[in-house]
Amino acid sequence: MNEGPLGWAKFYRKGVGYFAFAMHRLSGLVIVFYLYLHLFVLSHLLSGAATYNSLVTSITYGPYDSFLVLDVLLALVIFYHGANGTRLALNEMGIGLKNHKVMFYFFESIAVVILGVFLYYAYMFIGAA
Amino acid sequence: MEEMVFEIKRTDENGNMKTQSYNVPKDKVSTVLEALLYIKENLDHSLSFRYSCRMEICGSCAMEINGKPHMACSTTTDSLKGQKVTVAPLKHFKVIRDLAVDIDGFLEKYRAVKPYVIRDDDGKYDSEILQTPEQFHEYLDYSLCIKCGICMAACPIEGSDPNYLGPAPLAAAWRYIADNRDQGKKYRLEIVSGEEGTSRCHFAGECTEACPKGVDPSFAIQKLRSSMVGLEFQRLFRRR
Repeated sequence: MNEGPLGWAKFYRKGVGYFAFAMHRLSGLVIVFYLYLHLFVLSHLLSGAATYNSLVTSITYGPYDSFLVLDVLLALVIFYHGANGTRLALNEMGIGLKNHKVMFYFFESIAVVILGVFLYYAYMFIGAA
Repeated sequence: MEEMVFEIKRTDENGNMKTQSYNVPKDKVSTVLEALLYIKENLDHSLSFRYSCRMEICGSCAMEINGKPHMACSTTTDSLKGQKVTVAPLKHFKVIRDLAVDIDGFLEKYRAVKPYVIRDDDGKYDSEILQTPEQFHEYLDYSLCIKCGICMAACPIEGSDPNYLGPAPLAAAWRYIADNRDQGKKYRLEIVSGEEGTSRCHFAGECTEACPKGVDPSFAIQKLRSSMVGLEFQRLFRRR
């Protein structure tokens, strides 16, 4: 019976592999959405530097600086997707297929460390600003 | 007397669903299948489910127990946490009634991968085809499949794309390709390399985790993929 893509979200009580799969899809969609959003923002350069600067200022300063929180979430999603993607690529080549769960935890631990480094530098950047 | 509560997701012949609870004495049953039989014999004769061998050989009593696909006959009540057990029909299968699901579609997919030894000589060989123990062990694990459908229920892709061949048929394809007596590799790789074949697998690995017989479909799918790459390389150089 076809559950449709919503079936992917039903990972409660399922295994780690199911969770990894569902989150990989979700994070992929978020990254694609961000890519188009990013291109949309960049497309304002076509209207001149003043328009672009005004847009960037409006979303990064003042009442809308909560976008920084979304930036952190985006980093989380990208690091998760990248780490799991690396695991999947290795699995595709037959490396670690028998230990895919251990590999998932290993690569996601690396992602958490990279996220920590990112957060540190992001904090320093905000502090400097 | 200590009791366990079995919450069973039931579906009638019109497709109406409801959840019904039954109290089962803990000391009367040791497996989920025994609990279902207790319910059928003592509490509700209308409860429908499929079973046969009671020893994890026939593959009939696969169902979702506490949210995960398991064999009812080999799932002991002691292994379940808590006093409440939820039982539902296997996911990704059409429900016929209560816990009995329609496995025709699954068996069709199984047939599609030609799960039998194919010979170029059409079986008219002169002498016995020898097989060393090493060659036998190449496919032994994959031949343990009991066609219970648990891997199909555990696979997230199977839920969103019902045309995907699925873990068990793909593992069966590899079982015969890995058999040194078989010469049907070219036919099977053609089938499994299609749009609904191995390319649909995204290595969630849940099929391997769920299999009650220790078959490793995700490894078989990976072997099929590398075989296909090998075949494509051969074709590439043959053209030149």
